[in-house]
Amino acid sequence: VARGFKRRDGRYVAKLDTVERGLVVGLMEQVRELVDPELVDPEAVDSDGGAGDDRDGGAGDEFDQIVAGLGGVGLGVSLSAADQAPDLSGSVPPPRDPALERIFPTANREDEQLAAEFRRLTEDGLRARKSANLTTAIDALAGIEEQKISLEQPQALALLIALTDVRLVLGERLGLARDDDFELLEEQVSGLPRDDPAVYALAVYDFLTWLQETLAHALTP
Amino acid sequence: VPSAVPVEMSIAPVEQETVSTDELAEADVPWITLVWNDPVNLMSYVTFVFQTYFGYSKTKAERLMMDVHTKGRAVVSTGARERMETDTEALQGYGLWATFQKDV
Repeated sequence: VARGFKRRDGRYVAKLDTVERGLVVGLMEQVRELVDPELVDPEAVDSDGGAGDDRDGGAGDEFDQIVAGLGGVGLGVSLSAADQAPDLSGSVPPPRDPALERIFPTANREDEQLAAEFRRLTEDGLRARKSANLTTAIDALAGIEEQKISLEQPQALALLIALTDVRLVLGERLGLARDDDFELLEEQVSGLPRDDPAVYALAVYDFLTWLQETLAHALTP
Repeated sequence: VPSAVPVEMSIAPVEQETVSTDELAEADVPWITLVWNDPVNLMSYVTFVFQTYFGYSKTKAERLMMDVHTKGRAVVSTGARERMETDTEALQGYGLWATFQKDV
C-alpha cells in the first residue's frame, strides 16, 4: 500500500511500489516531451491530428494515451454532448494544444500585444525551467529500487511542481474546467468497467492528487 | 547610455515637475498580478506557493488562496509593470494560472 509523503529528519519520505513509481515517472517524461523546447518537432503535428506516435515507449502505451490525448480519455468519457472532436482535416493548421495553453496561459487578458510580448519573452525560459525541473523529479524517482522514497528538500520541491504540471495536462485531457468536474466525471463513469480508459485515467488523476496533497503539506512551513 | 538626469526633468518648470512626479508614481504603481481559480491546483499547493514565492505569512497566503477559490481570482501582488511580469512568470512556473494587467 502506498504511503504519502511525510517530513522526517529534514527529508521527505514516502512509500510507492514499482508500478506507482513507474506511473509517476512515465507521466512526467511525457509532460517533459510536451514542454521541452528542444524536443518540439514541427512535423509531429502533421499526422493523426497532432499527438506524436514515435515517443520512446518506456512508459507504456496506456500512459501515452492518457497524456497524448488521442481522444482516448476525453472521447471515452464524454457520454454528453460536451465533447466535440474538432475536425482537423483540410489545410487549417492545428490549434495550439490546450494543455500547453493551460501551462503557458495568456498572461494579459486585456492587451493582446502585451500578452504576445510576454509570451515571446518568457515561454522559452519557462519551457526550459519546467523541463529541467521535470528532469530533477524524474531522476529523483527513477533510480529508486525499493519502495521507500527519501528526498532532500530540492528534489521534493521539484517533484511537487512536476506533479502540478502532470495534473494540469491530465486535467486538461480529462476536460476538467470547473471545481466539481472531477466528481461529475466520476459519477459519469461509475457504471463502466474498471479497465475502461476513462476509469483508469480518473484513478490515476486521483492518485496523483493524493500524492501531491501529502507532499504539499509536508513541504509547507 | 542613460543619463543621470532625465531630460524632461532638467528642463521642466517647477509646477510641471510636480505633475511629472505624480505621473511617474501613477505609471509605476497601478499594475497587478492576478491568480485565477482552476479545478486542478490544490488549495494546499496554492497556499504553499504564495508563502514560498512571495514570503507571505500562512494567514495571508490562505486568505488569498480562499479568494481565488471562492471569488474566482485574487490580486496577489501590486506594483510596477515589470515586477508584475516577473511575478506572473514565476507563478506560471509553479503552474498557477497567473496574469498581469493594469489596475483600473
